[in-house]
Amino acid sequence: MSERLQVLVLDDEPIVGKRLQPALAKVGCDVEVFEAPAEALSRILDKDFHIVVTDIRMEDIDGIEVLERVLGKNPKTKVIMITGYATVEVAREALAKGAFDFIAKPFKPQELRDVIAKAALALGFKNLAVPQEAAE
Amino acid sequence: MPQAPAAESGSGGTDLRLQKALLERPGISIRTRLILGFLSLFLLSAVVTWAAWAMLSRLEVRLRFLEVADRYTMEIQQARRFEKNYFLYGTGLPDLMEHVENSRKLLDDAKAEAGKVLTASDLAMMQEHLSLYQGLVERLKNVQADPAAMEKQKAAIEADLRSNGSLMVDFALQLAQKERSKVNATLALFKKWTFVFLVALLGLMVLIANFLARQMLGPLGRLTATAQRIATGDFTPIKPARWYRDEFSDLSVAMNTMMRELQHRHDVLVQSHKLRAVGTLTAGVAHELNNPINNITLTAEMLKEDYPALSDSERLDMVNDLVAQAERAQRIVRNLLDFARESEIRTEKLDVSELLRSTAGLVANQIKLQGAKIELDVPAVLPPIHGDRQSLSQVFLNLILNALDAVQKGGHVSIKARPDRENGLLFVSVSDDGCGIPPHVLPNIFDPFFSTKPRGKGTGLGLSVSLGIVRQHGGDISVESAPNKGSTFTVTLPAALVPEVKGEAKPG
Repeated sequence: MSERLQVLVLDDEPIVGKRLQPALAKVGCDVEVFEAPAEALSRILDKDFHIVVTDIRMEDIDGIEVLERVLGKNPKTKVIMITGYATVEVAREALAKGAFDFIAKPFKPQELRDVIAKAALALGFKNLAVPQEAAE
Repeated sequence: MPQAPAAESGSGGTDLRLQKALLERPGISIRTRLILGFLSLFLLSAVVTWAAWAMLSRLEVRLRFLEVADRYTMEIQQARRFEKNYFLYGTGLPDLMEHVENSRKLLDDAKAEAGKVLTASDLAMMQEHLSLYQGLVERLKNVQADPAAMEKQKAAIEADLRSNGSLMVDFALQLAQKERSKVNATLALFKKWTFVFLVALLGLMVLIANFLARQMLGPLGRLTATAQRIATGDFTPIKPARWYRDEFSDLSVAMNTMMRELQHRHDVLVQSHKLRAVGTLTAGVAHELNNPINNITLTAEMLKEDYPALSDSERLDMVNDLVAQAERAQRIVRNLLDFARESEIRTEKLDVSELLRSTAGLVANQIKLQGAKIELDVPAVLPPIHGDRQSLSQVFLNLILNALDAVQKGGHVSIKARPDRENGLLFVSVSDDGCGIPPHVLPNIFDPFFSTKPRGKGTGLGLSVSLGIVRQHGGDISVESAPNKGSTFTVTLPAALVPEVKGEAKPG
C-alpha cells in the first residue's frame, strides 16, 4: 500500500494537537487536529480516517461517544483512547466497546507513535516509517 | 439566634483570661449569703428577745414594788385604825406602835429596790412622814404615864397624828395608784410591740427572701440564656457579670470549659469532613493535573527531538507553553491545598459572588468527570457578608458535591444567589434535578452521622457540619426535595449592612 496513514487527533487541550501534529507527520502520517468533538465528528462523516486518537473526557461529547460514532461509520477504523487518572475504568469500557488501545496521560510522543505503529500494522501498513531514533 | 457572626473561636489566651477573670473575683458563696440572711433574722429576734426580757424584768420590779406599796398602805391603815381606837377607848397603843414599826421596816427593806421606781424625793417624803408619825406616837406613849401632861397635850398630839396619818395614807394610796397605772401602760406597750415585731420580722423575711431569690434567679436566667445560645452553635465564652464569685461562677467556668471542648470537637469535625471532601476532590484534581503535565511532556519531548530543526520563534513558543503549563499545574495544586489547609477561623468581609465562583471552580473537574452541567446564576454584585471564607466555601462545596452525587450523567446543578436587602439577608441555593430525598429521611438529613450513601462513601457529617458552620454565621439551611425531581438546599446568611462590631455575646 502506498497510501499514507490518515490520522485524526481530538483533544480539547490545544497544545496536544499542536505538538502531535508535527510529531506524527514526521513518521509519515497525514494528521488532522481538532479541539471540539462536534467538529471532529462532522469531519469523520466526510472523510474516512485510518486512525482516530481521542481524549476520553471532554465537554459536551465524551470519548466513548466519539468511539461509538467512529466505529458506527467505519468499523475498521482503529480508535486509540487518551485517558487520564480518573478515566481508567472508562478506558476499559472503551476497549470492550471496540477501541484499539488506550494511552494514559501524561505520555511521550514516541509512546503514541508506537501505539499508532501497532494500529497501522494491524491495518496492513507495513511500510510505515516508525524509526526509534526518528529525531536523532 | 446569635447575632454575632462566626464568634471568634476562642483562642486559648482569651479563654484563660476569662477563666481568670471569672475566678479572681472575691468569693461570696450562696452558702455564705444564706447564712448571712438567716443570721440577720436571728439578730433581729435576739434584739427583740432582749428588749422583751428587759421590759419584763422592769415590770417584775414594778409589780414587786406595787406589792410592797400595798402592804405598806395596809400597815398604815391598820395603824390609823388603832390610833382611832386609842383616842376613843384609850387602848391599843402597843398595836399601833407595832404597825408603825412594821411600816418602817417595809419602807427600809424596799429602799434598795424602790430606787428603781421611786424618785428620791418621794422616798424622802415618805420617810419624813413616817418619822414624824412615829415621833408623835412616841410622845403619846411618854405622856401616857403622866395624866396631867396627858390632859394638856392629848388634843394637840391627836390633831397632829390625825392630819399626818391621813397625809401618809393618801400619799401611799396615790403612789400605789401611780404604780398600777404604770404597770398597765407597760403591759399595753408590750402587747403593741409584739405585733410591731411580727410585722418587722415579716418585712425583713420578705426582703431577705427577695434578695436571695434575685441573687440566684439572675445568674440562673443568664446561664439558661447561655445554654440556649450554645444550642444554636454560639460558643462565645461567658464573661463575668458581677463583682463577686460564687457557685454560679464555678458553673460558668465549667460551661466555658464545655464550650471550649465543643468548639474543639466541632473544629475537628469540620476538619475531618473537609479532608473527606478533599479526598473526593483529589480524583478530579489529579486528573486535571495530568493535562498540564501531558502538555509539558509533549512539548519538552518535541523540543528535544526537533531542536536543531526548529526556528527561534518556534522554540520560544514552546518554552512559553512550558512555563504557562507549569503555572497552570501549580495553580491547580495550590487551589486544593488552600482549601485543605487547616486554618484559624477568620471573620472577614466576604464577596459571596466571588466565593461562589471560586468554589464552583474548585469542583469544576469533578463536574466534568461526571458529565454533569453546572449553572451559576449569581449577580456580580451582592451585599457583602461577614464570615470565614474557608468554612463557607466548604459549606457550598459540600452542597455542590451532594448535588453531584444526586444527579445522573447529564444532570444539572444550579447555584443561585439572591439578596433580600429589606431584611438584610442573602439566599444562596444549590439545586439539582437528581434523585431527590425520600420524605421519611428528610427530617434526619442534618443529623450527624446520618447518611444515605453506601457505607464508606459518605461520612454522614457533611450537612451536619455545614449547618453548624452556617449557624455560627447567624444563618440557617433549609431544604426542599421531591423524589426523582431533585432537591434544593437554601443557605440563608445575614448580610453585613452596618460596619460590624466584633460580636460580644453578653452572658445576659
